[in-house]
This record gives sequence, C-alpha cells and structure tokens, in this order.
Amino acid sequence: MDILSLLGQGFAVALTPTNLALAMFGCFIGTMIGALPGIGPVNGVAILIPVAFSLGLEPVSALIMLSCIYYGCMYGGRISSIMLNIPGDEPAIMTTLDGYPMAKAGKASQALAISALASFVGATFATIGLTLFAPMLAKAAIYFGPADYFALYVMAFATIGGVTGANPFKTLLAAFLGLMIASVGLDPATGTARYTFGSYHLYDGFDPIVAIVGLFAISEVLVYLEGVHKDEARSVPLGRAIPKFSEIFVGGWAHARGSVIGFLCGILPGAGASLGAFMSYIFERRWSDKNGTFGKGDPKGIVAPEAGNNAASGGALIPMLTLGVPGSGTTAVMLALLISLNIQPGPLLFEREPEMVWGLIASLYIANVVLLVMNIPMVGIFTRVLAMPQWILMPFVVMVSFLGIYSISHSTFDLFVMIGFGVLGYGLRKLDISLVPVILGLLLGADMENNLRRALSISGGDFSILLASPISVLLYVVTFAMLMLAFGFAYVGRRKARRAADGP
Amino acid sequence: MTDRIVGCILLAIAIAYGITAGDYEARFGDPLGPAALPMMLAVPAALLSLALILKPDPDPAWVTGRPMLRQLAALVLLLGYAQFLETLGFLLATFIAVTLLGKLLRSTWLLSAASGAVMSVVLFVLFDQLLGLPLPLLPEFMG
Repeated sequence: MDILSLLGQGFAVALTPTNLALAMFGCFIGTMIGALPGIGPVNGVAILIPVAFSLGLEPVSALIMLSCIYYGCMYGGRISSIMLNIPGDEPAIMTTLDGYPMAKAGKASQALAISALASFVGATFATIGLTLFAPMLAKAAIYFGPADYFALYVMAFATIGGVTGANPFKTLLAAFLGLMIASVGLDPATGTARYTFGSYHLYDGFDPIVAIVGLFAISEVLVYLEGVHKDEARSVPLGRAIPKFSEIFVGGWAHARGSVIGFLCGILPGAGASLGAFMSYIFERRWSDKNGTFGKGDPKGIVAPEAGNNAASGGALIPMLTLGVPGSGTTAVMLALLISLNIQPGPLLFEREPEMVWGLIASLYIANVVLLVMNIPMVGIFTRVLAMPQWILMPFVVMVSFLGIYSISHSTFDLFVMIGFGVLGYGLRKLDISLVPVILGLLLGADMENNLRRALSISGGDFSILLASPISVLLYVVTFAMLMLAFGFAYVGRRKARRAADGP
Repeated sequence: MTDRIVGCILLAIAIAYGITAGDYEARFGDPLGPAALPMMLAVPAALLSLALILKPDPDPAWVTGRPMLRQLAALVLLLGYAQFLETLGFLLATFIAVTLLGKLLRSTWLLSAASGAVMSVVLFVLFDQLLGLPLPLLPEFMG
C-alpha cells in the first residue's frame, strides 16, 4: 500500500503539464532516434544531455525527458530492423532475424504492430518490476558502508567484463583506462593537481558528458565514413496501415517469457538490453521453434526479443537508481546526467528525493502508453523518417553534438577534448574494446576514490577495513566468480574459434 | 599486431602514470593521499597491457585508401570547425562545415550547400532563439 501511495504522488509529479509535455516529446524524439540507424540510444541521450542541462530544467523534468527518450529508443530500434534489415540500435539486432523476413513477405505493418505490442508488454512488465523491487533494494542498500560501496564499484566493472562476451582483458583494461582518465584534475581531498600537465583547462578534469558525446557520437561518424561507399538500404513497403486486432496478438506467452528473461538480464549490472534481447530470442527459439519457422518470419521470433530488450532496459534502471551502478551504456549516460545535476544516485536517492524517483517511475508508465499509441496507429511517421539520407542526418548529429557541448561551457577547448575522445572511441571500437567500462570508470572514478578515502578515514589508514564487513566480502566473492566466468567463457570461445579454424 | 602495438603504448602510459603518481605528496590528515589510487590503477593496468602484448586478438580490418582519406578529411573539418567557430561566427562556420561534411558523405555540391544553409539557420533559431543558448552569430570582424 505504501508503494501505491508513493506511486500516486509520483503521478502527481508526472502529470504536471510541463512534465507530461516533456515525456511526450521524449517519447517522440526517442522513437525517432531509435529508428534512425546511425544514432543509437547512447548517442541520442548523450547529445541531448547538454541541451537538457542548459535548458535549466528541473532535475526531475530533465530525468523524465531523458528516460522517455531512452524508452522511446527501445521501441524505435525495431522499426529499421523490420523495414530495412538494419538494426536501428544494438539491442534491435535480434529483431532483424524474423522481423525483416516477415516484412518482405508483405506483412510489414503487422510485424511493426506485433513488435510494438511486445515492446509495450516488456516495458510495462519492467516498469512494474522497477516499482516493486527498487524500493526493496534501496532499503537493503542503506546498510552499505564506504568500504562496501568501494566493493560494489569493483564488482560493477567485473560484471561488465563478464557478460559483454568480448576479450575480458580488454574490457578490464577499458575500465582502468576510464578510471585513469577520471583521476585527471584536482584531487578533491588534498588539492593536488594530478596529470594536468600545467594546463588550467584540465584542473576540473574531463567532463564526463564531453567525453561521452565524443566517445559515442563523434566516433560513430568516423565509423560511418568507413562504409559510406556502400549503397543505401532500400525500405520494404509498409502495406496496410493498421492491422487487425487478432493479427497483433499472435505472440501469446512469448510476451511473458521474453519479458521475464529480459528483465532478469537488465537487473544484472553491466548487462543491459542487448543481452536481454539475445537471451530472450535464443530461449524462445528453443522453446517454441518446432517447425523450423524461426528466422523465416515467425511472429514469436519478433515478440520475444522485443519484449526482452524493452524489459531489460527497464530493469537496467534498477541498479542505476538504487545503487548508482548503471546496467548499460545508456543508463551510464543517464547516470552522468544525474551526477551533473548534483544528484547522487544510490539508496539515499529514494529517501532524499522521493518526488523525483516516483515521478520518474510514474512517467515511465505514461510513456509506455504514449509509445504504444505512437507506434501502432502512427508508425507511418517514423517509417518515413527512414528515408532521410545520411548526408543530412550525420552532419545534423555532429552539429547538435558540437552545439550541446559548446553551450555547456562556451569553451572551444571542450570541443577539442570531445573530438579527441571521438578519435579514442573510434580506435577502441576498432580494437573491439567496449566503451561502456571506459564511461563507467570515468563516472565512478571520483566516487570510488571518495569511498575508499572515507573507509580509510574510519579505520585510520588500515586497508583491512575493505574486507571487514560481510557485504563487501560477499561482493568480492561475486566479483571473483564473475571474473572467473568471464575468463572461462573467453577461453572456451577462443578454443572453439581455433577448432573451427583448424577444421576442414 | 595492432593489439601488440596498442599494448606497448598502454604499458608505457601505465608506467608513466604510476611514476608520475609517485611525485604527488601525501598531506597530513588524509589517510589515502593523492598518490594511492593512481598507484593502485597503474599496476593492474600495466599487467593487463602486458596480457594484451602476449595474447593479442586477430587484427581488425583498418580502413585504407579513399575511406581513410574521408575520415581524415572529416577529422580536419571537425577540428577546423572547433577552432574557427567563434572567429567565423556560427552561421558561416556551420554552413561551411555542413556543406563539406555532406560532400564527404557523397552528396552533390548543390544539395550539401542547400542542407548547410538550411541547417545553419534552423540550428541557430533552435538553439539561440528557442532554447536560449547564446551563439556567436556573426564573424568576429563584423561583430
């Protein structure tokens, strides 16, 4: 009952005209960003943060807008998967497998409607989960001391390495790179200038938002320029605008299976929506692919990954809000927003800012309904956007990135830093080094050091306090297990690849 | 090979990072000091770089030829835009940048210039007028 009354207060916040308008705007822009190949949710949210920031919005309004963009992206990603066979964003890759064949068979509008409903079910399931579980987790997290927070951050890095599936050495290296970049600037406790090379510009360190926009948006342009000589993809015709009701509800229990699996993947710190979509699809194929129709336009092959990725993106908000540890690239970017608004996520957020948290949760319910309406009857608007040529889209993204960053500080130095991070991001992507741990290191570095410092102040400089509480010991055990798992997977994967290479 | 080279570079950075940290003096009253965390980062980072040198992944496909030139041109263009945004003023700088970027993305001169003109005006109105984020409108010598 407690939750219901808090949620009621949340709706009171979410239903103010400004917040409602921002939520709808966010849903629209988000779907658009998701639909356009070339700007994914991370880029989209990243380039809009400076804008939200300099608009001087209330923190809760800014957060509502960006969360709705985030949800919208997850809905929108499927549109280009289905229409063009190009995922609009990373989690939508699995939707191409059955979505595009179905669209090619002349059932594009049906595929879009089925996937919109699946997105709605998945996202609503996750939002309900967020409503129920987040306060519980926040309550438990009150018992966390500084040493435990330090352990938690260590674990966050380890879990990212564990599930992204790439070379774990590289993922860890990326995390350390991020932490090292975070240590540039004045040390808050002692006032020592670290790694500034005498430049006053670096005394404040690198602004995470500048770094994020560079790493994601600018590097995306460089990646795109690699393949620019290829032909533009052709869209399949949409067909009849709104399909019949009975044609949309063909997914059945695949909705539930996809939502549950996706949600669980989302809660894992560091896993995120791509994993949710992937696991849901694989599971659904095992479960219901009796006649070999998967991959040829089976509606369940659309429902499962879409429910999965939307449930995962909602689930990923839980560790971000309650522990301050983001579960995906996009939630990491949203954490950057919170930090720049001077709000420290974590268990105390629920105590100190109940209005903000519950307002956000309530607006997510509203966003889901808005998005369902936008994505079934009005989906034609977004499919038309797909025809926008890249030579308009890319320069537009670049210019909005530049203006956003410029508007924060009016300093050209920040623009150069952004370009520098863009080149770095391009290099890391080429080397198959994930950018998310870099961002995480950059965001959590300062807080990690503060908690370490606090813990040592309590113990008078004795490092054994780091292992003194059962919570931190448990977290280190989990960290260790995750690392072992990651290295184990990587080892098996390498051997498999080698065997495949040696084979006939 | 790429991984080995990057590993060497990162190893050098990690060592330099650790050595520099040694110069930061701990002040009285702070149990951690400014040097401790960097040191704690430098050692594992160096070890991980070593791992990268010893067990590299297969090389990525680096771009060559025209696409690489396109990337370099785009990079020069972005740097130039950042450098000259304030000197040239927003409208002119953005017009030039969008036109050239559009051309790099294989549009025609006419279409890119048109999109440059439209985009510079639209973005100026959007940011400066509607969102209230002041931009330098005209070149410095005219303002």
